[in-house]
Amino acid sequence: MNADNPIISIQKVHKSFGTFKALDDVSLNVDAGQKVVVIGPSGSGKSTLLRTINRLETISSGSIVVDGRDINDSASDINRIRAELGMVFQSFNLFRHKSVLDNLTLAPIKLKKTPRAQAEQHAMELLEKVGLVDKAESYPVQLSGGQQQRVAIARALAMNPKIMLFDEPTSALDPEMIGEVLEVMVTLAREGMTMVVVTHEMGFAREVADSVVFMDEGKIVEVAPPDRFFDNPEHKRTQRFLEQIL
Amino acid sequence: MRDKHVVIDVGDGAAIPDPEDKGLFTAWRISFFGTLGIIAYLLIFRPDPYLDIIKFLPDGIVVTFQVTFASIGLALVLGLIAGLGRISKNTFFNLVASTYIEVIRGIPLLVQLFYIYFALGHLVRVPDMVAAIVAMGFCYGAYMGEVFRAGILSIDDGQTEASLSLGFNRSQTMRYVILPQAWRIILPPVGNEFIALLKDTSLVSIIAVSDILRRGREFASESFLYFETYTMIALIYLVITLILSKILSNVEHRLSHYERR
Ligand SMILES: Nc1ncnc2c1ncn2[C@@H]1O[C@H](COP(=O)(O)OP(=O)(O)OP(=O)(O)O)[C@@H](O)[C@H]1O
Ligand SMILES: [Mg+2]
Repeated sequence: MNADNPIISIQKVHKSFGTFKALDDVSLNVDAGQKVVVIGPSGSGKSTLLRTINRLETISSGSIVVDGRDINDSASDINRIRAELGMVFQSFNLFRHKSVLDNLTLAPIKLKKTPRAQAEQHAMELLEKVGLVDKAESYPVQLSGGQQQRVAIARALAMNPKIMLFDEPTSALDPEMIGEVLEVMVTLAREGMTMVVVTHEMGFAREVADSVVFMDEGKIVEVAPPDRFFDNPEHKRTQRFLEQIL
Repeated sequence: MRDKHVVIDVGDGAAIPDPEDKGLFTAWRISFFGTLGIIAYLLIFRPDPYLDIIKFLPDGIVVTFQVTFASIGLALVLGLIAGLGRISKNTFFNLVASTYIEVIRGIPLLVQLFYIYFALGHLVRVPDMVAAIVAMGFCYGAYMGEVFRAGILSIDDGQTEASLSLGFNRSQTMRYVILPQAWRIILPPVGNEFIALLKDTSLVSIIAVSDILRRGREFASESFLYFETYTMIALIYLVITLILSKILSNVEHRLSHYERR
């Protein structure tokens, strides 16, 4: 792995909401192809950290460089950078007024000027990949949560992103639907996608993660490969957290 | 997180019929066919004077529709701008929009009509029709602005975030993601405003625009048949608004297709 040149470089980032410190001196590097899983108690700043990477949340200080570009530099085109960062939300956020197919083709057609036929062909390949070819003409409300989330992953992939960010993609799902979404994510990981995943799915973390990040009170407490992280965590707080959830 | 439960008030337009209501005797049907029945009865059994009255009115109906459509067009444009201004983070744009809405909503439509007609008349020679359309458009634009604002704010933030994260900028997000969804929420109140506006165009008869009401007043003052003339005028307004509310309810129903399972 190319440690000198991470694809995401987060340096000394602080983020405050008023007087509340949501991120407190956070630094983290992610290399191309790496899968990083972020865990931690509720309110520890996991979503905030993830959302600063594509500037849905602006930072108070520090720097974030994605694929060689400082995302908070006014000279960088944030919309271009965002197009390379796919994001998957806990609440799916599919465009409710568009069919599944149109959800996938909207951004490529409008932003990349991809011809419709080509965009639709790519969309169908992605739907094939997430197992939802037969739902191409459906509207989001007609789908189950698990199906919606798989469409949301396909929609993000339609822009051919270099990095995928997941914010608790399975937390809003009924238990029987979690597997189908994780399966898609595992496939994506196997294909070499760079992924930053906030999740409570420890099985997924063990199986897929190259490194596990534990956050608490806006700080990164521990970063370790999954074996070490789960079987032999260094910090007391990590140990206590793992005892609670495992 | 902002509370997203926005309720858009139904204005003072006619009640929009519920397209799911499959009953034979709906309020809409009773009113509509009742009105048609009365008109038919009057024309067949009392052709003198009702046939003469109704023959005198079509020019006025055309004018009423011209004023209504032109005003609603202007009101929609102003309403969209005012609504976007009200939610804009740009202080100047926001203040201009808010002030416009405050001022216009504080002045009765009839006073605005007189004001624009006579005040503007001093500065530039505006045709009566134009004065009427400008006054109606500006007045309804202010109400429409609030409708647009509420409609846009009722769309979940997640839609905006998903759109931004794909690489759309703010205005593309508004155009491709938010407005197409807000439109469906906005349509019922806009429809109500449309019908209310059509009725309010009767006010323009005062500034020499020959709409239905003015044509009727001309007929009545020559024939002295006040009761008969205003009966016919009321029936015609009723038929028009009932037809419009039916059309709106059908359009609304069609637009809501993606919410149905
Ligand atoms: N827009 C905001 N305004 C004010 N405070 C916020 C805002 N967004 C997040 N916070 C606060 O920042 C802290 C971190 O929030 P964040 O959503 O990052 O936590 P999280 O680790 O993702 O938690 P969860 O597991 O519940 O999703 C929380 O205390 C939250 O209340
Ligand atoms: Mg979170």
